[in-house]
Amino acid sequence: MFDFLDIFFVQQLINGLAQGLVYALMAIGFTLIFGVLNVVNFAHGEVYMLGAFVGLLVIQVWAPPLVAVILVVVVVGLLLGVGLERVAFRPFRRFNDEASLKSKALREATLLSSLAISIFVRELTQTYFGSEMQAIPQRYLLMTPIKIGALNLVSGQLVILGVGLLMFLVLQYTLFHTRVGLSIRAVANNLSGATHVGINVGQTIIATFVIGSILGAVSGALVGLYTGNIYAQMGFAPGIKAFVAMVMGGLSSIPGAVISALVLGVSESIATQFISQGWSDLISYGLLVLTLLVFPRGLFGGSDERV
Amino acid sequence: MNVYKAWPRLVPLLALLAIYAGLVAAGSGYAYRVATTVAIMGLLAASANLITGVAGLMTLGHAAFYGIGAYTAALASSDWGAPPVVTLLLAGLVTSLVGLLVAWLTRKLVSVHFAVATLGVGQVIYVTMLNWVDFTRGPMGITDIPGLGAHSDAGNLAIVTAVCAVLLWGLSRIIHSYFGNALRALREDERCVAAMGLSPARLKIQAMGLSCFCAGVAGALWAHSTRYISPADFRFTESISILAMVVVGGLGSLPGALLGALILTLFPELLRSLGDYRMMAISGIMFASILFLPRGLFGEASALRLLKRHFNWQGAQ
Repeated sequence: MFDFLDIFFVQQLINGLAQGLVYALMAIGFTLIFGVLNVVNFAHGEVYMLGAFVGLLVIQVWAPPLVAVILVVVVVGLLLGVGLERVAFRPFRRFNDEASLKSKALREATLLSSLAISIFVRELTQTYFGSEMQAIPQRYLLMTPIKIGALNLVSGQLVILGVGLLMFLVLQYTLFHTRVGLSIRAVANNLSGATHVGINVGQTIIATFVIGSILGAVSGALVGLYTGNIYAQMGFAPGIKAFVAMVMGGLSSIPGAVISALVLGVSESIATQFISQGWSDLISYGLLVLTLLVFPRGLFGGSDERV
Repeated sequence: MNVYKAWPRLVPLLALLAIYAGLVAAGSGYAYRVATTVAIMGLLAASANLITGVAGLMTLGHAAFYGIGAYTAALASSDWGAPPVVTLLLAGLVTSLVGLLVAWLTRKLVSVHFAVATLGVGQVIYVTMLNWVDFTRGPMGITDIPGLGAHSDAGNLAIVTAVCAVLLWGLSRIIHSYFGNALRALREDERCVAAMGLSPARLKIQAMGLSCFCAGVAGALWAHSTRYISPADFRFTESISILAMVVVGGLGSLPGALLGALILTLFPELLRSLGDYRMMAISGIMFASILFLPRGLFGEASALRLLKRHFNWQGAQ
């Protein structure tokens, strides 16, 4: 079936898709929050990291089945979302009119406040747990090899693919078929309009943060178990890549962000095969700059917006 | 110009002389190093302020331009044996050229797109520094870079301070000129600028070129004064801390950028005893300053008002 392609190439392609899915899982939550509030949430990487750490703690203390671990992580993600919105975003939303909510000042203030929070949390975790990788009990690692023909897969890749698809579908369902989703879309579309038809904007924004953070925390826990690397800095690099994927995809388009994340992952892993590991970052950032040069609004972005 | 009008301009000079005298009296190498770092970071923050604060284009890759300057100076002086005068100028020009090229490529991008494009460019430059081992010597960095030529720490500090002061003076003249006003207009509304008959793209390119020149010279000063550079000095987190300096000080204000650089460079040194809690303290300062001082410590408007009220200062005339 693959005889016209080098089997190693196909293998790299699959590894790349798995890596891209890791970025995509994060980019979904990132983009959701940006789409509603127009602010960059730099602390998303730390939600991802905390999700992984909480998952690990639960495993170390109670050793429940994986589903129970994920449920605990979901609850923690919910709490993190509420807390993050309260600490890093609400204090800067001093006025609720449209102009100040879309203003550059708000965007910069929240970008930096979420960045400050993220540095704080990362350093706190690092001081408490140390900077080395955490030991994960063997039976929880999602690394069971699966052979399909000549290809070597790992169970984690399938789990991530499944969970990624599930998250994407659940999110699309929530956004387009539930009341919460309706109000989130309304606030994203036109904030003052949403206020006028009686939507509680404050609660909707909290709901957005909760959904985004749950997605982030769960993907952190799963990716941590899949790669076996849980450490304080684990959220940083995927966070930057998710940010890049979001912008490449056109800022507020979730499918666009997912596609861009997959493209990033695949191009990185193919680059690793042809040139050395160190240069592979060059490919993804080069791709970003090139995309922005050709499509100044991203691949799936809307038209020019007058703020 | 009478004495009364001139003295506010003499205050920074006198303060500088006092600090300098204090350093000579203290005479420890550590104090000189900290003072040199503060001066260089001040210039760097002021150059970032020109793009981010005055022209309103948030940059997330400024450390990479700083790095280009540092590498140019380091390679030119250690491989070709060029004297510091040449390497400083060369570093400024090379960085400025790269900045012009980047600005020309990204001239159509606005707000967060520009920020992410500079992030991308910054990472590309960082990865190149890290991996082009034949040219940049890779992660090991460049050691034994020739110094600035003075025979004492005090002499080196004097050279660094003088170069920084000249460039800062130039930057302040640029900010308070018609060109600076055009950049401020660009920050407020790009389409309005275009409607007034100015070209936003050209303004962006010019601002980037000027700012990158200063960043490049700052990098060269850094390379010559620490005499060792490695790619780790120029990664994304450094860009973020430069941005933090500008924001803590107040976007658009030159004194603010200097003050931000002073605070964010001195605090880590003072807090060294805190050890692992140092970065937490810095992020705490950053968060508190954004929350409680939305215009920064020394925002443009408040700085001008303060000068007018206390010094009867009528702006740069």
